[in-house]
Amino acid sequence: MKKLSAMSKMYLIFVFAVLYAPIFYLIFYSFNSGGSMNNFESFTLEHYAAVFEDSRLIIILLNTVLVALLSGLIATIIGTLGAIGIVSIKDKKMRNTLLSLNNVLIVSPDVVIGASFLILFTMIGVKLGFASVLVSHVAFSVPIVVLMVLPKLLEMNTSLIDAARDLGATKRDVLMRVILPYISPGIFAGFFMALTYSLDDFAVTFFVTGNGFSTLSVEIYSMARAGISLTINAISGLVFAVTVLIVIGYYFINKRSKSVATGGHR
Amino acid sequence: MNNTIIRFENVTKSYDDGTVVLKNINFELERGKFYTLLGPSGCGKTTILRIIAGFTDASTGDVFFNGKRMNDVPANERQVNTVFQDYALFPHLNVFENVAFGLRIKKVKETEINDRVQEALKFVNLAGYGNREISEMSGGQRQRVAIARAIVNDPEVILLDEPLSALDLKLRTEMQYELRELQQRLGKTFIFVTHDQEEALAMSDEIFVLSNGEIKQSGTPVDIYDEPINRFVADFIGESNIVDGLMIEDYKVRFAGKEFECVDGGMKPNEKIDVVIRPEDLEITTPENGKLIVTVDTQLFRGVHYELSTYDQDGNEWLVHSLKKADVGAEIGLDFDPEAIHVMRLNETEADFDKRLEAYGDEDYE
Ligand SMILES: Nc1ncnc2c1ncn2[C@@H]1O[C@H](COP(=O)(O)OP(=O)(O)O)[C@@H](O)[C@H]1O
Ligand SMILES: [Mg+2]
Repeated sequence: MKKLSAMSKMYLIFVFAVLYAPIFYLIFYSFNSGGSMNNFESFTLEHYAAVFEDSRLIIILLNTVLVALLSGLIATIIGTLGAIGIVSIKDKKMRNTLLSLNNVLIVSPDVVIGASFLILFTMIGVKLGFASVLVSHVAFSVPIVVLMVLPKLLEMNTSLIDAARDLGATKRDVLMRVILPYISPGIFAGFFMALTYSLDDFAVTFFVTGNGFSTLSVEIYSMARAGISLTINAISGLVFAVTVLIVIGYYFINKRSKSVATGGHR
Repeated sequence: MNNTIIRFENVTKSYDDGTVVLKNINFELERGKFYTLLGPSGCGKTTILRIIAGFTDASTGDVFFNGKRMNDVPANERQVNTVFQDYALFPHLNVFENVAFGLRIKKVKETEINDRVQEALKFVNLAGYGNREISEMSGGQRQRVAIARAIVNDPEVILLDEPLSALDLKLRTEMQYELRELQQRLGKTFIFVTHDQEEALAMSDEIFVLSNGEIKQSGTPVDIYDEPINRFVADFIGESNIVDGLMIEDYKVRFAGKEFECVDGGMKPNEKIDVVIRPEDLEITTPENGKLIVTVDTQLFRGVHYELSTYDQDGNEWLVHSLKKADVGAEIGLDFDPEAIHVMRLNETEADFDKRLEAYGDEDYE
């Protein structure tokens, strides 16, 4: 790659500074022993301690992670099978229609999805809470997984499937031994995307939650409305750390599967 | 014992959009022979292989395997393995696992898998390459992995779809020898697809020449080379001089403004025919001694021989392969034996062609 000029370097630094400054500002004050974000008095971990002492917060945190993991998992399964289904459709028009429908779901605003789920759940009489949140998270994650898996499937040479059949593989063998291993990087990417989307979703969850069930983003929102407390900063700091960890984990998984695909270990 | 392993009866293939890819294909393949499907690209060679392997259904007609109809047997239950044109090796598996794939599907015991895979790799000169990733293998090696993956299953028939077309000339020639030798060692039926006539002539026991979804001619390489059935086959197989002619009577043919003695017969008197003379059957001599008198237009040195392009008074081009040099622009004579003339009737079917050849046999040919 060509070396960046000084100007473009400056510009990049500026952009990233603007993007990350509020986050670091927030995390910085999470260590402030003074009760506000006005002046930094001295370093303390008491806000973090407060987070961990607050059993309600811990339960909410666990809820959030559980919903993210479960919805990510379910969405990955549904989305992967869906992508395989879409690719196997021979009729071009039908296939493109399905793909467009999938993409519409991705770009449609969370508010619309949230509101429509709220209407749906109240109409069929589902109690709002864990189940409704889970279902709606699965729903908005599936199209994302489809989108991540699809390129891998399209890239796969169809003669690989013929070759497997030729060697005696049943349809099930073909799926388990050829298609799934081949598209696994896409599946992982889809799972991690679903995970992050679920973790930080606010709008959809806000609509469909109830019965005392809450996730972190909704909780932070209501805490922030109630008044500033540095506990929010501490939670945000923790969430940020987890996000960074997920990104790093994703990076390594991706790198490993790539080196397997291209035979990296010479 | 019946030696037929695969039989096609009136097989046709057309697609929904109306394209007819195969028109009434009939053939019988014997066990343990090397067959080649030869034809220009798009003539339906791959389609025939795919019908044998079971990836594609014939639109009409029957496919028999060991005497049993197998149109409805799914691909994974056929005693056939394929070496694909693009090899279709599994990129997520290493060389050993690629070769072992079929055996694992069949739940063969681990120790036996190990033995058989090692043996197959040794067969294709890749012993010790088991732990390599596919991406670490060269084109020629990948091709051999693909062959090992097919033979390790011990199928009765191996289908090879232009497996050498991606290789450079030197490697291709080497692999032609290796493949032919491999087939003879294994004693399996090979069905080999190519659009390269030299490859087909070099390797096959029997060649099927295809064009536009039809078998134009089948036979041994020598038969097809010496006695092409029509202009298409003569032109496609090797270099040839093809001119219009008139069959005066049996053993007497007229072309290039003269009458010649020949060894063909069985046509109507004064029937219009095509005449083929191979460039290597023409010999340069003095104009007085030549049966044809031609002017040398160009001359190329081809290593073993000179390739001359010459024209007679009627404007027919005559290609000559000669060990002797000639002068460009000079008038020379061309001499040839009556046996060198091969006469082809227009639109003769293969059955009629064979019958006529038998009747007016080429005793003096062999
Ligand atoms: N799915 C399809 N639909 C329509 N035509 C097809 C399809 N697959 C192949 N063909 C046509 O069938 C013809 C023969 O193809 P193929 O057997 O692959 O030729 P070859 O292997 O001799 O080059 C080609 O003209 C090709 O365009
Ligand atoms: Mg082909």
